[in-house]
Amino acid sequence: MDIKEYIASGILEEYIFDTLSPQERIDVELRLAEYPELREELNAIEESLEGIAMATAIQPPADLKANIMSALVDNLGGLKEESTQQKEAPKVIPMPQTNSGMWRYMVAASLTIALVTSYLAYDYHGKWKSSSDAFAQLQAQNTQMAEQYNQVNNRLDGLVADIDIISDTDFKRVNMGAVDPTQSYAASVYWNAKTDEAYLNIKQLKTLTEEQQYQLWAIVDGVPVDMGVFDFDVEGLMKMKDVQNASMFAVTIEPKGGSVSPTLDLMQVAGAV
Amino acid sequence: MILRLKNQDKDALSYLYDKYGAALFGAAQRIVQDEDVTAEVVQDIFLKIWNKIAMYDSKKGRLFTWMLNLTRNAAIDKIRSKEIKRSAKTDSIDEYVYTIDRQNSTETSVDGIGVRELMDDLVEEQRFVLLKVYFEGFSHSEIADEYDIPLGTVKSRLRSALKHLRNKVQL
Repeated sequence: MDIKEYIASGILEEYIFDTLSPQERIDVELRLAEYPELREELNAIEESLEGIAMATAIQPPADLKANIMSALVDNLGGLKEESTQQKEAPKVIPMPQTNSGMWRYMVAASLTIALVTSYLAYDYHGKWKSSSDAFAQLQAQNTQMAEQYNQVNNRLDGLVADIDIISDTDFKRVNMGAVDPTQSYAASVYWNAKTDEAYLNIKQLKTLTEEQQYQLWAIVDGVPVDMGVFDFDVEGLMKMKDVQNASMFAVTIEPKGGSVSPTLDLMQVAGAV
Repeated sequence: MILRLKNQDKDALSYLYDKYGAALFGAAQRIVQDEDVTAEVVQDIFLKIWNKIAMYDSKKGRLFTWMLNLTRNAAIDKIRSKEIKRSAKTDSIDEYVYTIDRQNSTETSVDGIGVRELMDDLVEEQRFVLLKVYFEGFSHSEIADEYDIPLGTVKSRLRSALKHLRNKVQL
């Protein structure tokens, strides 16, 4: 073997840093025993490593040493006791007993493993369950958010369409005031005289029962013309029936579905074009 | 000395601590970078030396090498278990080793040389390999794989680095 080449390969440094595989270690150890020059080189490398460590030493905290010394347990006492027991044992206890001792250890070990495993399984089950709960909760939240988003989006679309109408100069806004002067009911009609389209907007109207609805009327040539019914709680602009040559708009309370002719007693708001 | 340790002589361990405690603390501190954690590591190591001294085989190397490897491995396990990302510090390993030295300048080094001075006149490539192996616990093949350096080159660089330092830190 070319010792110089072997040394130059850097394997001794690997040996010292303990990064070799067990087989490689054994191989190095065999060669060390065989070649004194290798042993010498190993020593020199170890010394330089020690030198580096000494040169780069850092003073530990003052109480560390006391902590270590007080944590020492005299292992030897225990070992001695064990060994005396072992010496005595063969005299008194026949061979099979040692086997049963082995068995006992193995049973104990299996039991320990079983216990530890069960505990881990239980623990992981708990963790799994809580994360799966959390996940379901998140999913529900997500769905709810999506729904809310859709609602807001629909509402926004409606508002954008409403604004288009309001800002269209062809639409004339007709305000309808309360017929009973003690009330502050109000609503308006956006009416396009060119296309006959009409939209209703509630500002404030009183709450109706389930059996009642509001009905919008246009007065055309002195005669009331039905423009459709609506609920008291509609938001934004509501499309009503087209109407021509209207001179006035009015809203009455009618049975659900509307009437053929207006119940004038229950007229709530009215306004001239 | 080793015999006294094997006989569980507390004075022997006390002597060992006085002689090598600071060196092992320094080695661990540069890996862990936290004084409290380092103290934990060093305490564990001395207890391990005390409990496992029977496993030490003087035919296989010096006692200090054995202790140093125990310490480095424990320190590296500690930071790896704390999930400190190795990549986070790879870029600036020189920096952080030096930073620690600066931070500890008041208590650094028994004989007055810090890591910086020690390694300053190493060739950059040699220093890199030495720092990786010594302070980060990389194996040779890990360095070769991760930084695309041929394995033989890693080995020879480490060897030259140690050889160079050998003259500098003659005991």
